[in-house]
Amino acid sequence: MLDFLSRVFGRDSSSSKNVAKERLRLVLVHDRANVSPELLSSLKNDLIKVISNYMEIDEKALEVSLDSSENQVALVANIPVKRMKRANKSPA
Amino acid sequence: MGEVIVITSGKGGVGKTTTTANIGTGLAATGKKVCLVDTDIGLRNLDVVLGLENRIVYDIVDVTSGVCRIRQALIKDKRFEGLHLLPAAQTKDKTAVNPEQMMVLCEELKKEFDFVIIDCPAGIEQGFKNAIAGADRAIVVTTPEVSAVRDADRIIGLLEAAELRDPKLIINRLRPKMVKHGDMMSIDDMIEILAIDLLGVVPEDDQVVVTTNKGETVVRDEKSQSGQAYRNITRRILGESVPLMNLEEPGGFINTLRRMIGLK
Amino acid sequence: MTRETVNNSSSTKPSVDSGFPIELEGLVDDNTILVQRTLRSGQSICHDGNVVVMGDVNPGAEIVAAGNIIVMGALRGVVHAGAQGDNDALVLAFRLRPTQLRIANHITRPPEEEESDPDYPEVARIKNDVVTIETFNAQMK
Repeated sequence: MLDFLSRVFGRDSSSSKNVAKERLRLVLVHDRANVSPELLSSLKNDLIKVISNYMEIDEKALEVSLDSSENQVALVANIPVKRMKRANKSPA
Repeated sequence: MGEVIVITSGKGGVGKTTTTANIGTGLAATGKKVCLVDTDIGLRNLDVVLGLENRIVYDIVDVTSGVCRIRQALIKDKRFEGLHLLPAAQTKDKTAVNPEQMMVLCEELKKEFDFVIIDCPAGIEQGFKNAIAGADRAIVVTTPEVSAVRDADRIIGLLEAAELRDPKLIINRLRPKMVKHGDMMSIDDMIEILAIDLLGVVPEDDQVVVTTNKGETVVRDEKSQSGQAYRNITRRILGESVPLMNLEEPGGFINTLRRMIGLK
Repeated sequence: MTRETVNNSSSTKPSVDSGFPIELEGLVDDNTILVQRTLRSGQSICHDGNVVVMGDVNPGAEIVAAGNIIVMGALRGVVHAGAQGDNDALVLAFRLRPTQLRIANHITRPPEEEESDPDYPEVARIKNDVVTIETFNAQMK
């Protein structure tokens, strides 16, 4: 009932202006950090290359993104580790 | 010594030229000496918006390339004492002028006029660089659309990089009804995202189209809301503190009801 | 010569072409260029002779010619005939509605108030030191 009321009175959080604002916020994070999708994907590939020297990771599940909070942008990487490599095998 | 203000937006079609014409006319109506400069070389429009298109003999490229003197190219508006236009060239392109020439031009114009208002072309290339080269202040125009706000953000970044600090924002073509229904970003939403000072809000108004059709400016229309908005903006540019006009229709059943059940 | 026969190719070629419409023969000399298309905003033609346009000249387009300018269509842009000082130069158009019209060192623009909208060819030239507009007829000279 309350849900219905708030929709009737235009306070629905999925109203198109909130969608617009959210999309804009995401786009601007990338714009302001000056990072293009291509750059992000090549960063991802480099990360995989380096980390693979030390451990075995799930390349497909690897996520790299830019997050913003207040006036900051942070690089967030989620890298699932499958298996550690043996310590005596020094990196190439 | 006058002041050079550039009106810019990044995205096209948000109302840079209309804003330039109205601010210029508004300032001239208060008795200031104003020169409007159209830097959209190849796509000139300010002349038709002002209804001065048939009086152009020389243009900005003729001035910067030394074909004529500034005074010869300036068109004096007959309706407003003190309003002048330096038109863009139509048959050349943006590369016909460079930022150094613009700086010299602005310095010259500043000696003569209280305000030099520069209408910047859309985009961030040479035309933009020319337009901001001689500016002391910047006004960014946007509309409540994702694309326009994104471009405005990019422009603000570029202005800051060019040492044009503290640009002011004009939100154009706002539709209060849609904002109320949550279908358009509100003033606060945009200020929150862009984080710059607001200079004014101009509501969507059919009268802008009507006056532009006739080569007139809506700022002289005492009755229209958009005209009032531009008059307020003009006064703020002159340093007055003018509160934002109320764009909402008063009262209304829904508002009362909403207040009653505590949703707002 | 009707508008339907206007070739819209973008070529600008000298008028010495063979197969030229017979009606135009009298206008042709060695220093005339023929523009077989509509001139749009931002386009400009500068020539030290006569210019003939088979098409319209839109607002924002510009023709500067040392000689005469003939527009076989609607002339709505800016034209300057006799640009090197020839006071005898004339401007002829099927529909003469220029933004601004210049002949030698005279500059005119249409009157501010809305005027009649003639749908016949007119010619502009200098008479007694002022630019005058007259209905065009083949006998005039």
